[in-house]
Amino acid sequence: MKLYEEKNHYELLEIHPDVAPTEIRHAYKKLFDLYHDESIATYSFFSEKERKEILATLEKAYLILIDPESREAYDRDLIEHGEMEEERKYSNHKKNPSLMYDFKKTHVQGLVTIRNPEELKHCASQNPVIQNILNQDTITGRDMKEIRTELKITLEEIAAATKVRIEMLRIIEEDNRELFLPMVYMTGFLKSYARYLHLEEDVIINGFIKYINQGSLLK
Amino acid sequence: MSQIWSIGGGKGGTGKSFIAGNIGILLAKQGYKTLLIDVDFGAANLHTIIGISKPERSISDFLSRRLGTLDETVVPTSIPNLYLISGAMNNLDIANLTHQQKMKLLRNIARLSYDYILLDIGAGTSFNTIDYFMVADSGIFITTPEPTSIENVYRFIRSAYFRKIHHVLKAHDFRTLAEEAERQNSNATVSNPEVLLHVIKELDPEKGDIVEKALHTLDFKLILNQLRKQDNPNIGELICKIITRHLALKMSFIGNISFDDHVHNSVCKKLPFVDLYPYTRTALDLRECCKNHLSINKNLAMAHNFTDQL
Repeated sequence: MKLYEEKNHYELLEIHPDVAPTEIRHAYKKLFDLYHDESIATYSFFSEKERKEILATLEKAYLILIDPESREAYDRDLIEHGEMEEERKYSNHKKNPSLMYDFKKTHVQGLVTIRNPEELKHCASQNPVIQNILNQDTITGRDMKEIRTELKITLEEIAAATKVRIEMLRIIEEDNRELFLPMVYMTGFLKSYARYLHLEEDVIINGFIKYINQGSLLK
Repeated sequence: MSQIWSIGGGKGGTGKSFIAGNIGILLAKQGYKTLLIDVDFGAANLHTIIGISKPERSISDFLSRRLGTLDETVVPTSIPNLYLISGAMNNLDIANLTHQQKMKLLRNIARLSYDYILLDIGAGTSFNTIDYFMVADSGIFITTPEPTSIENVYRFIRSAYFRKIHHVLKAHDFRTLAEEAERQNSNATVSNPEVLLHVIKELDPEKGDIVEKALHTLDFKLILNQLRKQDNPNIGELICKIITRHLALKMSFIGNISFDDHVHNSVCKKLPFVDLYPYTRTALDLRECCKNHLSINKNLAMAHNFTDQL
């Protein structure tokens, strides 16, 4: 058994090195209740001096562990002294929230394309088909699909990046107006779509709105 | 071999005799041959708790050699399987036993053949009380959730701790080592026995190991008695935690026993509480504590056997 003074901060607070900050706070609160001077369970067990020392060590441990920077430094120190294993560090266990729709079923490094905005803009300005469409008065969903295929970007990629459901994007591209949501949503979706392709958002939206208005006039 | 449980805890009036008597009755009712021994000489009243107002024989008959063996002082009770050795004294000066008398008594208690022997130990932290407590296989502390009572439990545990260390050191003829340790750390050792153990280990690792092993054989339990509704029911767990954290000892919490005014009635009527009020919360708690203690002991015994085999 280790002497009280020799315990590391995690052992003092009786927690594992990989716990989250809320658990550290909870553990500290529990021990504070046990050792503070009104606590009935420790009555007469410690002298006033010992009690103050214990509370001070607990507070020090708590303050170091609750701050992410000092905790990181303290963890590194422990790992160097061989008191803790690398993989038990809290930062190694932190997880980002998982994506609801993960379309890239196979996470192969080569398939992930990193888009360079300058390159995309360059491609678009050099491509006659795209320029043609952009110069039109109205822009339809089918035009958007054409631009996208010219730029060789998949619909899945856009859905994952813009967080717009892929079904919704398909509805836009197919001009399936019966399934359209209110226009305020549709323009919002289209805006994200255009932004991802680094096209001028205003041009696309204006063209699209004109196209929709024409359609309703024809009816 | 009989299992010896001792029931003590430093402070008077916390319900040691009450719990000893009632747990004894519960064990007997489960079919275990159980013997209650009242070693609270000078203030014995375990016999009253189980409904015997004037026992015919008592431990003093054995100590003053009116009866040849300790077995002859056993009195049967109205409950089947339950037996009693009363501590009620005819002879007044016998309340203060000499060392020889005490050792003779302890040897003879160890020779008795029952399933369970329960020692009801008096208040205070004199060497006599501590020695009766330590002879047992399992030492049960009774405390109430009040600072005075908790203070006495801590005092008792520390006395027991030091008694054990002194005992081991004397037996191995290295008392000087303890004195050296105490000289080095004169303030710290009294308040913090853990430091004493640490110093002994530093001075002589081999002997330190022996002391540590001896301390690990101490097996303490805790029952929190007279818990009122407004009290914090976790105090017992916390006390055990403090002991295990700061002294190199094991201490397990057995359970809370609720406060009940009916206890007063049962004592006044001189009838056993678990018989008179079997459906109260307090009786339920007593049964629960008895069950918990039996299972904790069984687990420990299994663990010991396992390590022995290794």
